[in-house]
This record gives sequence, C-alpha cells and structure tokens, in this order.
Amino acid sequence: MSEPIDDAALVERFPYVRIDHDTKHLYRGWLDQRLLINRCDGCARFHHPPKPVCPSCWSTSLTPTEVSGRGVIHLTILLHQGPPAPDVDYEKSPHPVVTVDLEEQAGLRFTSTVIDCPLEKVRIGLPVELRWIERFGAPFPVFRPRYTS
Amino acid sequence: MSRNPIRDQVAIVGLGTTGFSRDAGGRSSKSLACEASIGAIRDAGLVAKDIDGVVGPLEPGGPHPHEMCAALGLPQVTHFSSPMPVALFSLVNAMNAVFSGACDTVLLYYAYQRLPWNSRSAAADPFRRHFQIGVVPVPESTFAAAAYAAWASRYIHEYGARREDFGRIALNMRANARRNPLAVMRTPLTMEGYLRARMIREPLCMLDMDVPVDGADAFVLTTTERARGLTKNPVVIHAATHGLVDTNDEDQLPSLKRHGQHVVVEALRAKSDIWLSDVDVFLPYDGFSIITLGWIENFGWCQPGGAGRFLEEHWDDAAGCVMIDGRVPVNPHGGSLSEGATRGSGHLREAVTQLRGDAGERQVAGARTALIGCGGFFFNSQGAILRRL
Repeated sequence: MSEPIDDAALVERFPYVRIDHDTKHLYRGWLDQRLLINRCDGCARFHHPPKPVCPSCWSTSLTPTEVSGRGVIHLTILLHQGPPAPDVDYEKSPHPVVTVDLEEQAGLRFTSTVIDCPLEKVRIGLPVELRWIERFGAPFPVFRPRYTS
Repeated sequence: MSRNPIRDQVAIVGLGTTGFSRDAGGRSSKSLACEASIGAIRDAGLVAKDIDGVVGPLEPGGPHPHEMCAALGLPQVTHFSSPMPVALFSLVNAMNAVFSGACDTVLLYYAYQRLPWNSRSAAADPFRRHFQIGVVPVPESTFAAAAYAAWASRYIHEYGARREDFGRIALNMRANARRNPLAVMRTPLTMEGYLRARMIREPLCMLDMDVPVDGADAFVLTTTERARGLTKNPVVIHAATHGLVDTNDEDQLPSLKRHGQHVVVEALRAKSDIWLSDVDVFLPYDGFSIITLGWIENFGWCQPGGAGRFLEEHWDDAAGCVMIDGRVPVNPHGGSLSEGATRGSGHLREAVTQLRGDAGERQVAGARTALIGCGGFFFNSQGAILRRL
C-alpha cells in the first residue's frame, strides 16, 4: 500500500469525480487498487454508496473494508452513446455498463464496466471478478468474466 | 382507511399552457412560464392580487418563484417554494399550503426548456450555455436516466419481456398525441418504426425516452369552498402522495417489486375512496417506457411482469392505442413520450382537462375520476387521484 495522500492531492487524482468526506475512502482505496466498501463496526452490515452513518443501526463507526470484487451481474446497459472517456469509443462498439451483486452481502452492488467479454455474453447472471484499468491516469475498478476452475 | 383530512379540500380552478414544441424560438423559459401563468390566472377568473402563493419546480434555467412574482406583479405573496422537479412534488406543496392556510390561492407553474446536454440546437443557443450542466462523470454510471435502462434489462430478464411490450407504450402515446394539438410528436408511428429506432442505452431506444421540449404549464389552486364560487366545475385533489424506500440509490434498489412506486400505491390506496374500477382516465408517467410498464403493474391493473400482455389484451386496434376494458385510455394527451417531456405536468393538465370535459376529440365521456402515477422508481415516485365534484 502506498502512503495515503492528502485531500487536495486526492481531488487532483480524480478530477472527474465529486469527492466528499463521505466518499474519500472509496477513492483512496482505488489508488491502491483496493475496492473499499463501508462496513459497520456495530452490526457488520455493508452499504454502498458510502454514507456517514450505518443505515441499518445508525452507528457512525464505519470501516471502509476491502471486498473481493467477486459477484454476479444484476443489471446491464449497452451504451450506444454516452459520456466521453478516453478508453471508450461508442462508434466502434456499444459500451457495457454492469451493476454487480457483490458476494459479500445480498443486494450490495457496485456499478462499472466489464472487460474481456464479448457483448453477447454481457448478461444478467454472469459471474464476474474485479480488475483494474487506468482511467485519466488513475486506477479504475472494472469487472471481467469469472471462469470457475 | 389512512388519515387524509385534505381529501377533496383543495381544488384546481385555473389552467394555462403554451403547448409544446422542439423550439419555441427566441423565448426564455420565464417568458413561457408567464404566458402559461397568466392563462391559468385568467382561466380561474382571478387577477394578480388574488394570488398569494407561488410554487414551481427547480428546473435548470427556469424561473424561481420570486422571479415569477416580480414578472407578474403579484403584490403580496405569503407562500413561495421551489420543490424538486417532477410535477407532483410541487402540486403537493401547493395543496398543503392552501389547506394549512399558508396562503389562499396558489399559482403553480412548470416551465421547460431544451437543455444544452439533451438537445443539439439548445447547445447552439449562446443564452443557454450558462445552464448548470447535468454532468455524468464517467460512462459507468446508473445516474438518473441510465438507471431506467439498467432496470429495463432486469425487467426483461425476470419476465421475458419483449421489445414489442415497450413498443406498445410508445405507440399508444403517439396515437393519442395525434388527438392533442398541444403535442410535439404527431406523426404516425408503427411497431416496425419503433423496432427500427436507434438504440441509445440498450435495451432502451430513442422512442423509449421522452422528447425534450420548450413550453410551460400552469395551474391555480385554492380551497374547494372558494372554488365553488369561481367555477361550476371544480376539480379536486382527492388524495396525493410521494413514495420513497430506504435503498433508493439507483443501482441499490431492492428489486422491481419494491421501490418508490409501491409506496405510492399503498399510500394512495389507503387514502382514497376511489380505486381502479372507478377510474375514468389513467395517467402513468412515461419519461421512460419502463416506468409506464411499472405503473401499470404496480397499481394492480395486472400482475408483475404482465404489462405487455395486458397492453395487448386491452389494445384498441381501430384507434391504435390502449383502452383498458374498452373504456379507460392511458395518457390520452400523448404523455411525455409524444406530447413532450413535461415531467408530469402534462399528465396533471390532462387530468384536469378531462375532468372538466374540455378534452375535445379525445374527451372520455362523463369522466369523473383520474388516476396519476408520476415519476419513476427511485426518488421521485408520486401519485394523485383527482375528481370532479
């Protein structure tokens, strides 16, 4: 793990995101290629996106906790047009957006894209795992199909 | 029966609209709002000094209530408020203000302008460049509009829905818009045309999304008691509600069987003496076709996942639109998909127009009750039942 950077430097690394005191841990985790999801120290429930209190028990004692990034696709979109990104070319191919049910807790979901996957395989129910790509010079979490051995 | 002391106590006594177009020309959204507002106040038989409440949603580039007060020269206003967009937030705010005595007579206005990020011609308008941009930072987002495509994929997955099921929503709105002179999209649409339309956020195509427009609607609300002295046909709000569940972040929604619409339906059902068999006009929001499929199922017109078959069974081939039980039209004004993207003020206006008996060739004979399901699944679900006294 690298040395944690200060808030100003964090904002500079992710100029395209509106980071605040509730979400800063999530993005600090990205710099170390770790997907950190808020978990309550009291009731052990995860929640996402990050909130200042645990929605289940109102504890403010929350720990951004690394999750495996394994899960199953719950929702899909194929963007035929959309917001620009340096690694996305809508002219060439629709860009998949997937919401993944993470294995740590039912209904705990994370949304990103899926790589190394033909579009016809981007389907609800597909098992996936976490990978990291570079986006605007910083790590960005994505999924790819998970093949069980 | 749930507590609902406001039942039938607040009336809509004035209506004004500019109609809707892809380009209203060199006019500000305030100008459109003023035209609709003056129309509504005059329609109610009132003048500027009678208006002591002003409510209108926060729309990008749209006028604030104090600006409307200044533009229209309303001399003394005791309640003014700007709720979130989507029509019934403002309706309920205005209704509560009248009932509580915060004011006696409210001007409720909705002004829409095509925005630089959803209209190429609007982007070319130098006067619209300063509008706050609804930026989505990365493609990998279920923010706002994208979320409906995401949950449409789930709907297809869970129920085996076909594209034609979504297509019928678009066809119904277009056929109805052809009978509405205010509507922007009035050219005929066939299923082949729908299926050929450009994909935007697959599984949703261009014709599953509402049409950005320029235009405005306005209403005047007052107590039902006062309304009886103003008009012979007051339309009253029988019940109205919002609906929200805890995990309402778009991608964290519990399921298609548990979201804001379900809260709306349960609350409305508990507050109302009137339910589906009494409804003469059904006005489900259609900012995206999937929202309409949701309202049809969640109100209980059919089972979850059954909307496609329901539309087919209740399809009027001659008219090219849905007529539930041969009697109840769905968005007879053409909805947001074909009248124009009014975030529900069009649905509210059509309810009042039908209940007054003023809907011309699309009038539902003897309409007494209208059911509105407004907004989507996440944080703007709303519903209302309006009736003629």
